[in-house]
Amino acid sequence: MTMTTPHVSTEVPDVAGAGADSPGPAPVPTGSDVPRAVSVLVFLRDRGIFMLWGLLILVFAFWCSPYFFTVDNAILVANAGALTALFAAGVGIGIMTGVLDLSLPGTAALASCVTGWMLTHDYNTALSLLAGLAIGVAVGLVNGAISLRGFNPIIVTIGTLSVLTGLASVVAGGYTFPGLTQLEFMGTHRYLRIGEGGSTFTGIPAPVFIVAVVFFVGTVFLTRTRDGLRLMAVGANAEAVRRAGIHSDRYKVLGFVISGVLAAVGGLVNTANVTEASPVASPGILFTALTAVALAGVALTGGRGSLPRVLVGALILATIANGLIIRGIQPYWATVATGALLLGSLMFERVLQTAVSERLMTANLSVHARN
Amino acid sequence: MTENSTPALELTGIEMHYGFVRALDDIDIHVMPGEVVALLGDNGAGKSTLLKVMSGAHKPSHGSIRVHGQEQSFHAPSDAAEAGIQMVYQDLALVEPQDISTNLNMGQETLRKGPLGLLGFVDRKAMRRSSEAELDRLGVRTAPMTRPVEMLSGGQRQVVALARSAIRVNGESRGILLLDEPTAALGYEQTKNVEGLIERMAAQGIAIVIVTHDLPLCYEVADRMVILNRGKKCADVPVEGTDRDHVVGWITGSRASMFAA
Ligand SMILES: Nc1ncnc2c1ncn2[C@@H]1O[C@H](COP(=O)(O)OP(=O)(O)OP(=O)(O)O)[C@@H](O)[C@H]1O
Ligand SMILES: [Mg+2]
Repeated sequence: MTMTTPHVSTEVPDVAGAGADSPGPAPVPTGSDVPRAVSVLVFLRDRGIFMLWGLLILVFAFWCSPYFFTVDNAILVANAGALTALFAAGVGIGIMTGVLDLSLPGTAALASCVTGWMLTHDYNTALSLLAGLAIGVAVGLVNGAISLRGFNPIIVTIGTLSVLTGLASVVAGGYTFPGLTQLEFMGTHRYLRIGEGGSTFTGIPAPVFIVAVVFFVGTVFLTRTRDGLRLMAVGANAEAVRRAGIHSDRYKVLGFVISGVLAAVGGLVNTANVTEASPVASPGILFTALTAVALAGVALTGGRGSLPRVLVGALILATIANGLIIRGIQPYWATVATGALLLGSLMFERVLQTAVSERLMTANLSVHARN
Repeated sequence: MTENSTPALELTGIEMHYGFVRALDDIDIHVMPGEVVALLGDNGAGKSTLLKVMSGAHKPSHGSIRVHGQEQSFHAPSDAAEAGIQMVYQDLALVEPQDISTNLNMGQETLRKGPLGLLGFVDRKAMRRSSEAELDRLGVRTAPMTRPVEMLSGGQRQVVALARSAIRVNGESRGILLLDEPTAALGYEQTKNVEGLIERMAAQGIAIVIVTHDLPLCYEVADRMVILNRGKKCADVPVEGTDRDHVVGWITGSRASMFAA
């Protein structure tokens, strides 16, 4: 983790845990730096979910052989997890930047209905999609503006959820917008198909590409750009960011806007998949997304977590569902398994966290003892 | 030159309420460029509140703030920072999950050169390198730049918080540095380092206000002492020639205020 880069030495033996490396290009780690065991534990804590996923794949590969471990099935899993992943990205970025946005299903419904209405009234497809995304931006701005007045974001977004669901029904006039085949290109259509008919490769469904782009751009944004870093910092400690001379309010709103846009994307992809825009906001997707985010170990306190882990969280849910379906096990067992996994991972994390703090503590103590 | 007689920072008639609690009552205080003023007082006397008013983190209910003679009204710490004021907060105000370098550069990130920079990409290597160089120049050392703040000891965190503000006022002859108990978590040697740092900063012409409960430190670095008691200023005296017992008396309230009306 942090020990590979060259760094300046410390001259303060009385400060606990200080690295005692010599300056220069080749630092020599010494006993008073972060102990090896701690870095291993921290690695497990931060990367555990990737291993968990690998383990699941391994188990299913044997248990569901030969149907599970195939390219076609991998694509199936990816496609099935796509919607969860999009909403999980929205929920996850929200939580990382310090807000739990519960209005996501409402945003998705309104965005789909606005796009559906425009498509049904023969507006240009691109324009209709842009309008749907603009709904996401607008909802984010409203959520952000209200929350900035000091109201609890959870209550605020419960309020907007209700308003948005109602508005979606108003737009749809009590019905749905069926037959939106214009959106097939981002729904059921598969790209990169090799060979025709009895083909060798059936291609990758559009939602998988969308998820890939969203997570790639999102990860790069959050970890490599100035605004992304500030956004994460606001999630961890907004007041600290404000005191560092940054307009932290703008970043709070930005967090809402991003999660709103991702909800709109999720709604539109779902609409494209079923070629129908429905005003019914399903809170279920929110909870599935939250499960994926929780599995990814994104702390509800904000400022921590990573999008790749959220993606793996969503894929784990899809993998479990898929494996159990292949074995012909009733789908509700997938829900049970997911819940158990989540609780198990919570406990695992607690154990790791305690081990890390204990080790850091004793490391500090030993540094003091030597002086 | 009138320049020499203009305080770097001057607050007059400052009043501050937290709900019904009156934390500050009609406070006048000033610091000259290059001067170190120690702000003393018992727990809850209002020292941190006064410093936060100076840094723009709190807006006073009454009173005016002048920076180098110019009347200012701070709506946020960014306004104060623009006027050259930097503060180290008692609770440090660091972002725990992020590393030292990111914390040091918060709000002044170095962007990459070329098109990526226009897209807002940060140059982490450059930030690490420049932060290390700045720390070297200041003569303070802490953990590796890539270490998250949550993995630092209390003293290391304090050094990071101090370094961030110090880097920002360093070399600014009109700078103002506000320190809220900067040595509370530091050991002997590190406290000596901070003393040296404060002296070097003051020699550059930077005006410094330091809140501390450490009287020896105060006598070591400060030129003047301002003592608060329950939100009121009760003494404003040069360090030299002032008896420690008197200071303790003012702090605890057993000695009558110099400004009793
Ligand atoms: N955020 C707040 N809300 C309400 N009251 C506050 C708040 N912060 C401080 N106070 C009150 O204002 C008064 C002054 O507090 P302040 O933090 O300025 O004291 P201090 O002199 O810095 O004390 P210490 O030496 O303990 O740091 C205290 O009575 C405190 O209870
Ligand atoms: Mg205080």
